[in-house]
Amino acid sequence: MLKKVLLALLCAAVFANPAWAKKTIVFATDATWPPMEFVNADKQVVGYAIDFMTAAGKEAGFTPVFKNTAWDGIFAGLAAGKYDAIVSSVSITPERQRAMSFSAPYFTVRQALIVNKNSAATSLADLKGKKVGGQIGTTGYFAIKAAEGVQAKSYDEIGLAMEDLNVGRIAAVVCDDPVAANYALMQYKDNLKISAIIETGKVESYGVPVKKGSEELLELINRGIAAVKAKGIDLELKKKWIGQ
Amino acid sequence: MSDQDVKKIEVGDGAAIPSPDDKGLVSAWWIALIGTLILVIALPLVQPDPYLKILKFIPDGILITFQVTIMSILLAIVIGLLTGLGRISENRLINLAASLYVEVVRGIPLLVQLFYIYFALGRLVRVPDIVAAVVAMAVCYGAYMGEVIRAGIKSIDFGQTEASLSLGFNRRQTMAYVILPQAWRTILPPVGNEFIALLKDTSLVSILAVSDILRRGREFAAESFNYFETYTMIALIYLLITLILSKLISIMEHRLSHYERR
Repeated sequence: MLKKVLLALLCAAVFANPAWAKKTIVFATDATWPPMEFVNADKQVVGYAIDFMTAAGKEAGFTPVFKNTAWDGIFAGLAAGKYDAIVSSVSITPERQRAMSFSAPYFTVRQALIVNKNSAATSLADLKGKKVGGQIGTTGYFAIKAAEGVQAKSYDEIGLAMEDLNVGRIAAVVCDDPVAANYALMQYKDNLKISAIIETGKVESYGVPVKKGSEELLELINRGIAAVKAKGIDLELKKKWIGQ
Repeated sequence: MSDQDVKKIEVGDGAAIPSPDDKGLVSAWWIALIGTLILVIALPLVQPDPYLKILKFIPDGILITFQVTIMSILLAIVIGLLTGLGRISENRLINLAASLYVEVVRGIPLLVQLFYIYFALGRLVRVPDIVAAVVAMAVCYGAYMGEVIRAGIKSIDFGQTEASLSLGFNRRQTMAYVILPQAWRTILPPVGNEFIALLKDTSLVSILAVSDILRRGREFAAESFNYFETYTMIALIYLLITLILSKLISIMEHRLSHYERR
């Protein structure tokens, strides 16, 4: 009996405490996408998007928990309720909007074409009949597939595509420009270069997908994103993670 | 030839080979085959979107899967023959080299070997992705094949060797004309089994961005979000292929044992 009373008291104490009432949101992230989200030398998930959501959580009053998840199947996991939301450089597209609800955009990107230093290609049209790689299910890969005469090759992780480009198995890679810059200007700076920005005619922005019908959650995240932008925290983060 | 000489070796993790004696219409194999066939045909008819789309998206993946499987198994048989002979060789150096190869390869997971040959050795030797995949699969399966071939050769009674040597054949001739022609009957069924196991394991090369059945399916699912439907179809296609192959191997096995009984 005493135990039950104690337990009830403990429960009451926990739920009454405002610090505990703070909502925890579990975000899935494919931490293979530097500098947006990646695993650092200390095995921690870090990056622009991670800092951004942490700041958003501070502003809107939620505790973000980041769960490192493989990109392939990340949307299936959201549908299955394995986490609450995804913060993994997910570009907002009409197809994706049909399957999930998106938060307000938090970052704008363009698709960059990366080639070997000695390559003269400056567009996908220059790469007819050649193999071009991208990460499976990303807007970069869709752009390659849409290009006529180019052999699209999909990879599990963008790093694997970059390595294949580095050793010359493929002719080019297409991915989001901050990621492209990270690989072409830092990791493979002796060998690779960004040769062009692919004009799709559409503005491409990252959003946070949540399961359809999670309006409350979406509102909370949106409030955080708006506050971070209003305070100019995003500009500081850009300086920290991306440079210019 | 007496019944005693008919020996079977069980190696690998291929599909269950249906027993050639099982003539009944209602067997696990038949139920699985008919069930799979019905689903593969009915699903696209009943629900063309997405099942028919998936079915149209995958065929070049099936081609790649078979291409990788057949090239790998041929290379693996060559490697396996050399390894198997090396393992029973009386030359200590050759014996040691073959044994070392088997030990090393069997101790490393296939997935790690694939990554190693593709990405690690890829820095030194630049080969196309399919070649890297085939080499990796063949190096791995060559070790298992070596054990199959060694066991097949060992299953031939030593009296055969003695008789052959006493008739004036040298060791090489004994192996080529007496032992191997008899051993291959014991070896072939497990090789068929390895073939099925290898076909299934080629799904691992999808990780190297080789466009096999699984990679094609993953690409479809990633774009359409039809995870359930896509992976159901992928599983059914693999099942259909392995069911048909296992029956073919069963028939082959039956023919071989029939030949031996006479």
